[in-house]
Amino acid sequence: MVKRYTSLAYKNADDMIFGKSVYPVKAELGLEVGAGYVTGEVNYAPRPEAGVSKEKLVSEYRRLTTDIMARAVQVGFPGISLETEHVEQMTNNPDWGGEVAHVQKTIMEEYHEEYGIKTALRHTPGDIRENRDLLALIGAKYDTLMESFEAVADAGADFLSIETMGGKEILDYAILRNDIPGLVYAIGCLGSIDMTMIWEDIRKIADKKGRIAAGDTDCSQANTAMFIAGGLLDKNLAHTIAIIARAISAPRTLAGYEAGAQGPGKDCGYENTIVKAITGCPIAQEGKTSTCAHSDVMGNLVMQCCDLWSNESVEYHGEFGGTSVQCWSESLNYDAAMLNVATETGNAKMLRDILVLSDKYRDPQGYVLAYDNAYSVAEAIAKDGDDLYLRAKNAAIACCDILNAADKKKLVMSKFETNALNDAKAALDAMTDEADTFMSDSMEKYKAEVAVFRPDDNYKF
Amino acid sequence: MDVDPSKILVRYNVAKEKAQTPEEMAAEMYPSTEPAKTICAAIFDGEEDDVIEGLEKAIEGGADAVKLIDDVLMVGMKIVTDLYDQGVIFLPNVMMSADAMLEGIEYCKEQGGAAPKPKGKVVCHVAEGDVHDIGKSIVAALLRAAGYEVVDLGRDVPVDEVIAAVKKESPMMLTGTALMTTTMYAFKEVNDRLLESGIKVPFQCGGGAVNQDFVTQYELGVYGEEAADAPKMADAILSGKGLAQLKEQFHKH
Repeated sequence: MVKRYTSLAYKNADDMIFGKSVYPVKAELGLEVGAGYVTGEVNYAPRPEAGVSKEKLVSEYRRLTTDIMARAVQVGFPGISLETEHVEQMTNNPDWGGEVAHVQKTIMEEYHEEYGIKTALRHTPGDIRENRDLLALIGAKYDTLMESFEAVADAGADFLSIETMGGKEILDYAILRNDIPGLVYAIGCLGSIDMTMIWEDIRKIADKKGRIAAGDTDCSQANTAMFIAGGLLDKNLAHTIAIIARAISAPRTLAGYEAGAQGPGKDCGYENTIVKAITGCPIAQEGKTSTCAHSDVMGNLVMQCCDLWSNESVEYHGEFGGTSVQCWSESLNYDAAMLNVATETGNAKMLRDILVLSDKYRDPQGYVLAYDNAYSVAEAIAKDGDDLYLRAKNAAIACCDILNAADKKKLVMSKFETNALNDAKAALDAMTDEADTFMSDSMEKYKAEVAVFRPDDNYKF
Repeated sequence: MDVDPSKILVRYNVAKEKAQTPEEMAAEMYPSTEPAKTICAAIFDGEEDDVIEGLEKAIEGGADAVKLIDDVLMVGMKIVTDLYDQGVIFLPNVMMSADAMLEGIEYCKEQGGAAPKPKGKVVCHVAEGDVHDIGKSIVAALLRAAGYEVVDLGRDVPVDEVIAAVKKESPMMLTGTALMTTTMYAFKEVNDRLLESGIKVPFQCGGGAVNQDFVTQYELGVYGEEAADAPKMADAILSGKGLAQLKEQFHKH
């Protein structure tokens, strides 16, 4: 049995700040995360044609890693973190991912030895636990996934991460129908059950290999909601529903830490400020410097408590200013330098609050994720931390309450957003307080409505 | 520390929001006669049971079950999609309305023992190697809502299977979605294999990593930036537009 969080790591929201966490972690080549400074974390994707063979892929990662390290020392950055999110071939063939990690780490060691630059390497195997038609969270694909973790850990990856997909079969159905109980079930319950299983095993591998079980993100669900919601003028999902999904994702991501993750949490987990309030573990975040990968509506705000600052992903190719990974790593590290100057000069909280206020009222998502409100969501989660269902429901209710209590002259919402929020709150108020009742009712409902739902196979019910 | 946000950002969506509620706008579009009015309202509300109840009453009153599909159900759904296109209602409303309409269509087909001819047939798939299918599901739902027959091949569909389905179904359009840059390359292969077979069907491609630059690299490709472009593209094909005209209309960048 894992121990669930029932209290917060921070006594006050105002104690939360970028670059500093309660429990920093240290990578092999000297980079500490959450130990008082922010570092850029560069993300990249190989060009599509590089995926045709192991040799081409390894060559692609050799080039881009060398490019990043060369630029980092050219511009004088004290440290840099690299994240390799696997293309599926690298996870399905564990030796491919292992070879890439080995080549990357070797280059990083060379730069560390020559220049003393502090570095860390994160590898994020893909969640390959799917068959063509169905999720297959448990079974042969799970075993291959664990072999992939073993291979990259063996080869030198410091931080082990993944973006798991437990609950996604229900989320994809529920999010397109404004089904709030469905979001609680998909993300808060099924997602947390899967997270608990997989992160216990990742931690075992990390401990065995002397690596760090870093963290997960609810990319497959809360980010799906955020991307469907899109920009202010998009008409695909109310942003109030997207932030409810995000709030529910925090206890799901938390389940990874309860099962052994230590941070840094994954960059695209926009729920990470809530999670950091509870765990005190360092987090990666992405925002204004990840516009190469996607648009969001809180690009500055999300820097507020980051320990690593990421660009999410960029395809490796040439730009006027060098290769894409060089351009974006440079931007990331200039951001980090600014944050670190604020810390060194005693202005960190001032800068944090400027970043927050530049986006806090842009839309409901940024408002709830602003560190003061995120802290309130964290408190609601920890209140019933032992109950996966109740804490997810609490997070959703806290999110609604925060939005309803907002100064309406500052956080201006459309009628559509307000109506969706009211409907969601009514749905939450109608939900039971009994986890067993909710779980059995939901099982019956979604087995009938979602053809691809296989609860017994995937969640050991 | 706090700030007056009015100086630093603009909520354009709030400023442009219509004075009328979606319900009021829909009510103005409903047919004036019963039972069509009630059934259309039930479709707008996404209430499947009310749609069936309305259809039951209509059939009891002597209406032709199969004719109800085109004369009432599709009319109700068009109100929903028109309001979506105008930005008055959001995608979940369309999905719930489509669920209700499709249930209504199944009921009418059971009662009438026949089905009206669809506007056209579209084959939908997710690229080989890619299991991210929510975009494809939205495309399929919007096409069905617009009266098209959809042959949904699912996700991670091998190129061979796509080609076989196109040969078997002879669709007016093929759609492909992909989230990842590494999987979208399958679209080029689909394109080449279709051309080898002498098939020049418009191939609408979109999704996460897919962009117009990539899609323009192969002859049959037409870039769909939004899922909502799919029924518009099918409508354009029905109106007689060829590949060049489709690209002219839908390539925005």
